Amino acid sequence: MIKTRTIVLLLAALGLLVLLPLFLSPNLLNAAIKMMIAALFALAFTLAMGQAGMLSFGHAAYYGLGAFAALHLMRAVEQKLFGFPTPLIPLAGALVGFVFGLAFGWFATQRTGVYFSMVTLALAELLLTLAPTWNALFGGESGISTMRGASWGVSFGDDAHVYYLTLGWFVVSAWCMWAFTKTPVGRLALALRDNEQRVRFLGFNAHVARTLIFAISCLFAGVAGALLAIANEATNYTIFSAQASANVVLQTFIGGAGTFFGPALGAIIMTFFARVTSDLTRSWLLYQGLIFVLVMLFAPQGLGGLVALHARKVKAGGWKHLVAPYLLCLAVGLLLIAGLVFAVESIHVVMTDAYLAQRTAAQGEWVPYELFGRSFEPASPATWAIPIMLLAVGGWLLPPTRRITQRAWLAATRDLPGEPAAPSPAVTAGQGAPP
Amino acid sequence: MEYIVVSVLNGVVHGLLLFMVSAGLTLIFGMMGVLNFAHAWFYMLGAYVGFTLTRHGGFWLGLVMAPFVAGILGVLVERYMLRRVHKYGHAHELLLTFGLAFIIEEVIKLFYGDALVSYQMPNYMRFAAFTIFETNYPFYRLFMGAVALAMFAALYLLLTRTRVGIVVRAATYRPTTVEALGHNLPLVYMGVFAGGSALAGLAGAVAGAFYPTGPSMAVDFGTLVFVVVVIGGLGSVVGALIASLMIGLFISFSVGLNVSIADLLGLVGLGPWAHELGGLFTLQLSTVANSMPFMLMLLVLLIRPAGLMGDRQ
Repeated sequence: MIKTRTIVLLLAALGLLVLLPLFLSPNLLNAAIKMMIAALFALAFTLAMGQAGMLSFGHAAYYGLGAFAALHLMRAVEQKLFGFPTPLIPLAGALVGFVFGLAFGWFATQRTGVYFSMVTLALAELLLTLAPTWNALFGGESGISTMRGASWGVSFGDDAHVYYLTLGWFVVSAWCMWAFTKTPVGRLALALRDNEQRVRFLGFNAHVARTLIFAISCLFAGVAGALLAIANEATNYTIFSAQASANVVLQTFIGGAGTFFGPALGAIIMTFFARVTSDLTRSWLLYQGLIFVLVMLFAPQGLGGLVALHARKVKAGGWKHLVAPYLLCLAVGLLLIAGLVFAVESIHVVMTDAYLAQRTAAQGEWVPYELFGRSFEPASPATWAIPIMLLAVGGWLLPPTRRITQRAWLAATRDLPGEPAAPSPAVTAGQGAPP
Repeated sequence: MEYIVVSVLNGVVHGLLLFMVSAGLTLIFGMMGVLNFAHAWFYMLGAYVGFTLTRHGGFWLGLVMAPFVAGILGVLVERYMLRRVHKYGHAHELLLTFGLAFIIEEVIKLFYGDALVSYQMPNYMRFAAFTIFETNYPFYRLFMGAVALAMFAALYLLLTRTRVGIVVRAATYRPTTVEALGHNLPLVYMGVFAGGSALAGLAGAVAGAFYPTGPSMAVDFGTLVFVVVVIGGLGSVVGALIASLMIGLFISFSVGLNVSIADLLGLVGLGPWAHELGGLFTLQLSTVANSMPFMLMLLVLLIRPAGLMGDRQ
């Protein structure tokens, strides 16, 4: 049963999403579309990972195939080969994703655990190596592009139209995936994750069940890919790259694979993070990797897991214990982040070719470099004292902060019946202060 | 004939190189159950350490220091990261090393940029070892093969002829018994992890001077290494050797062959039909040489799902 409160919350969120295009600038609207697509992809990935414990490192394969399928269909419509309503084009992605999910999944699910991960990775690499040479299907290096056609009285020329189309597919797909987890096959997926041998003893064909669940996950990945194709109107073979597969893994686990909406949360946050930081710095992938590793080390359940933990454990009056320690965590975390960012960006600037050229022009002198709108001397110890001081102070404050937060957590959760003694200190400390 | 001999030589050397990296990976996996996703990134690290030290001290210094640096990093990763998350299971460890791979790659990019670096072998090693059928065969390829063979011999002797080897092998099968006998099991794990990482670092320093050294070398090589361990059967060093050689030969032969499925179908009279269809049928084998290992993997999975030498599912 779904609680009334959850339904009200979901409806409120949906209402907000429907009204959102009225307030967003075109750039942000485009970002919102990409965030929803990433969220859908992450949910599809989690269907295989969170439910059935199948960690796929090659989900971009089905995402990309869905995108190419949608583009080919759109091209056929554009060339008036036959008519097909634009809003239903993601169905092509779904079909292709499902079919390839069945075929590739049959191979991949021969093995379980880490073997499975490697086989899925290799299958995606297979597509990546084939795609640039197969011109007819993948358009070679440049890829294929097309235009969205008007249908059902909507032109689809405006980003807002694409937004509502994406929103519609997102809501329907998310509901379908949620409903799927409640079906007998969905429950079987959980059983496969927890104890495959017992599933086999109960008379189920584990291999077939795995393949089916994997294919359904690929189906929704195909839908996400098709939505991306509709939004971008073009794609090329790089959509199959290991980077694309890696992104969904990072996003899902930062969000938390254990909860249903955690991965979507992670995808939305990280897509937004990527969009903001990739304009500011070329090292944003490093920061993304660091965030991922810190979450893996100190908050293994992800952000969604942390939210769920707080919703479950913190009693009504408990927040008054937590506000101050969390602010402290935030302050310490900001110190550490500032130190790290300063160091990384300084190294980055000093290592660029442009800076090297400047140095050559100045006969090898360490010329000052520009960062954050100010000028710094790379050879002076005063410059490097800034990150070192920031990191040292942050590192020095970290252990007491962790102790305080831990104590506050105990106080905030103390009076709940059936409460285990204490959560892992790492979980609370991971909130705002990456050690 | 010339084609066959040269292809065999190239394939064997490439295979031995693959083996150098995959041996460490499969050893670590067999023992700790940890699939180190970042393993190929240790290989890349080795290449960059070699590159840096070649500029500041010489090629041989790089060759000695690369495994050392990779090994130290391996110790730190095992001690301060993997051990922390061990309680959450193997998938979690895999994910952690996956994130680590990201960080290693980005930190290297931070210092060396996105472009290829010019890591070259010293000039006195740049000569032809011998000439077969009027082809000069570079000495450096033989050198790479020799390093790999020496490493294999050393590893084999270490594992089968020394006390350390006995403890390591015993810890693979009966970790609790080994611990009960008073051996420091965490230290053994750390040692194996560091050793495997060091091997990858050495391979990187040796191979980086011959093949291109750049930020994408890890992901390209890494997927090949995973294919090797899937084909060979995870945990089996002998399986890794066979699979490495197979893949090396497969690639080196398919690079030079300009045949397509259509040509093969032409032998039974279906050529024109296949040429008309185009697409997959007219792709030259040489252009899809990079896809061959993956095809081979699918084939092995069909016939022997556990891998050539694997006994565990």
